[in-house]
Amino acid sequence: MDFIAQERDRLLRSTTRVVGITCALVSVVGIVSSLAVPLVPLLGALACIAVLIAALLVFGTNGSVWWTALALASGLGALALLLLGADPDVRSVVASAVVPLAAGSLSAPLMAQRGAPVGLAMTIVTGVAAVGAVVWASGGPLSGPTAGVVLGWVLVAVVSVWIARSIPRVARRIQSIGTAHRAERQASETEAQRRQGARLLHDTVLATLTLLAHSGVGVSEQAMREQAAEDARLLRHLRLGATPQPQQSGDYSLTRVEESPLGQTLESVKQRFGRMGLEVSWHGTGQVLLPSNVLDAFLLALGECLENVRRHAGVGEAHVTIVHDQETVRAMVTDAGVGFDLDAVSAERLGYKESVVNRLREVGGDAKLFSAPGSGTTVVLEAPR
Amino acid sequence: MTRVPEDTINRGLPGETVQPAPRTRREARERYRGSERRQARGLPSTSTGARSLRQAAKPGASLGAGYLGLGAAVLTAIEAVAGIVFFLVRLPDYANPWLPAGAWALYLVAAIGVGLSLMTYGERLTGTAFALICAVLACVVTLDFVGILPEHDIAHTASASVAAGFALLPVATLRPAREVAAAIAVLGLGFAVMAAVSTPITPATLPGIVSLLALVVVPPSIALFVVHRFRQLVQRELDRVLVQSNVQAPQFAVGMLASDELARLDLAAEKLLDAVANGSDPLPLSDASASVAASLATELRLHLIEGRRETWLYHAITESDHLGRAVSVADPQSLAGHLGPAQRDGLLQALWQMVGDGRPAQPGAPVVSVTLGPIGSDGHPVSDERMDVPIVFESRGTPRRRLGPTAWSALQRIGPYTESFRDGVLRVVSHCVVDRHPSM
Repeated sequence: MDFIAQERDRLLRSTTRVVGITCALVSVVGIVSSLAVPLVPLLGALACIAVLIAALLVFGTNGSVWWTALALASGLGALALLLLGADPDVRSVVASAVVPLAAGSLSAPLMAQRGAPVGLAMTIVTGVAAVGAVVWASGGPLSGPTAGVVLGWVLVAVVSVWIARSIPRVARRIQSIGTAHRAERQASETEAQRRQGARLLHDTVLATLTLLAHSGVGVSEQAMREQAAEDARLLRHLRLGATPQPQQSGDYSLTRVEESPLGQTLESVKQRFGRMGLEVSWHGTGQVLLPSNVLDAFLLALGECLENVRRHAGVGEAHVTIVHDQETVRAMVTDAGVGFDLDAVSAERLGYKESVVNRLREVGGDAKLFSAPGSGTTVVLEAPR
Repeated sequence: MTRVPEDTINRGLPGETVQPAPRTRREARERYRGSERRQARGLPSTSTGARSLRQAAKPGASLGAGYLGLGAAVLTAIEAVAGIVFFLVRLPDYANPWLPAGAWALYLVAAIGVGLSLMTYGERLTGTAFALICAVLACVVTLDFVGILPEHDIAHTASASVAAGFALLPVATLRPAREVAAAIAVLGLGFAVMAAVSTPITPATLPGIVSLLALVVVPPSIALFVVHRFRQLVQRELDRVLVQSNVQAPQFAVGMLASDELARLDLAAEKLLDAVANGSDPLPLSDASASVAASLATELRLHLIEGRRETWLYHAITESDHLGRAVSVADPQSLAGHLGPAQRDGLLQALWQMVGDGRPAQPGAPVVSVTLGPIGSDGHPVSDERMDVPIVFESRGTPRRRLGPTAWSALQRIGPYTESFRDGVLRVVSHCVVDRHPSM
């Protein structure tokens, strides 16, 4: 509300500036074209109007009460010089020429006096004086110029009240749009997390899409169809809100339970690396139940570590020890490979930070890396249960 | 994002309607304005936020215009009452009062009609309705002018025709500015011609004519200005409120558009797989379908690994029309994600204040640049649990004293700061103490 109040004041100040300056310029045209004011008071009045315009310009940017005072004083000065300087027989003509000045320029500061009682009082006093001057000069309270000036003041008062009232209303509506938007953002973020979290599902979908990208050549048509139907079914379930967990490649079974056993999936990781020439030995417990998003993060981090061993360690065997307690599950990935100097090779270069640490931290876990040249590498992965 | 054009995914998918290419230049421009620029700002086109932004940017009636229009109608009514009183007081002076009286009657009937139709059909005015209103106002002005022609004194006899200018006030809140400006110009021209024809131009009559012309032309023009500024204010506030939702975002987020994209890709994959499964896309696949599958796989892979690398600050700046143009952010270590909600709020507030007050040195250049980090630099200690992130604001074109108390209190919410001013650049260095392992 703070910000919108500031914007409201700025809007009111710039409206003040535009109304005041436009009306002053219109008055100048009228006064000059009337040829009714002698040169000396005319020049004095024009100087006063110039000061008025300058004061309104500055007021438009900083809104200080001193600039209001200057604008009002110079405006009244111009009014006095013009009405007193003119001959009595042409005074009513001058009065009709100063109507925009008295009705618009002097009333404009009224709009921007929110929270400034002194400025408001000064403006109202000026208004009374201006109306009085025009009544005197135009020959009565029912004359056209008087009516014009009073109308101008009433209109400006209504405008200032109405603008000030519109803005909180529209701000409330914008706030409610913002609330809806915040809810949508949270929902969309959760949805993205859920979809990104369903990695195993996307793995099989991607494998199928890649086969299809080669027009499905090399796979029996019947098998391809079944695979596609199965994947479409999984995607449909994902879309409808479930988090399907395909258990094994090729033979899907949809589980709706939130927790999945770690043991079965570890076996498939082992087989995958076995095919690529890295023998993985498991130690410790194989049956740990984990929430599916934690399981995914844990397995992907583990796979990443094993991939690093396969590529960089220069050995054909890695050991994974899994231990767990009530709160956490830990995996220690060790190899007897070449190792490396932690300071010489930055963690980022191995993709370690990206794919291991960040992935685990997303689910509330962490990872630590220990290594030295010639003495192998150990990574400790931790995830909450 | 990759260069893979979206159309390759939409092409040939069963059940998808492919949008035809724009036929005219205008259509292309409107489509660009309407959806794609909004999408580029990181919001899916169907979200509440994007819809509100589109609605607020459309010419004509927009958010909050209804109430403003009601206020304008009050002004019109006040002027009309004053005009009628003025007319009745002067009634004996008119040689032929029936034509101006007819003009007033027509004016009142039209005003009541428009008021009733707005109350019935809601706060909008179609082009036809606007044309009709203009035609009726033209009749009012003509009747009044013909009636006062024998008086040879437009300044003291015109009444209903002046009210026609005020009738454009509420219209200004409901119709595009260009149309209203045209109406004002025609009306002003009509008055000038009428004044020249009916009234002897002498120094004695000219001031009255100038005041009258101003009374007709200035109020609706100022209404246009106010409405314009009001719409700017609404758009700015909407932008600010929508961006504010990032304050509660997690440390790293994919953003609403990417999330929408991922859902779209999953749906497209589902449809393709369904088509393969039920045989509507026969195997082996045609080249077109195979290439759809290939690009789907690529996009899907990219979206799945697309890490949560972008912080809330990145999303806030790219989604915001105003901040995106005026703020540049350097945050190589993604430190912004560590900030708590209060600190984020302070940071955004400070940026809004600096952007609101500053002027770019050259158009298009950022007004404010923000640098987060590096951590561990001099005077910014780091411990195991907490770290002091230096946040450096450099604001061009904002004199120090122009930055209001709101900006300084917003900066205070980020953390203790020091400021300096040199060569027209305000430089604020904040000590933002954050948790090293944020829970968000």
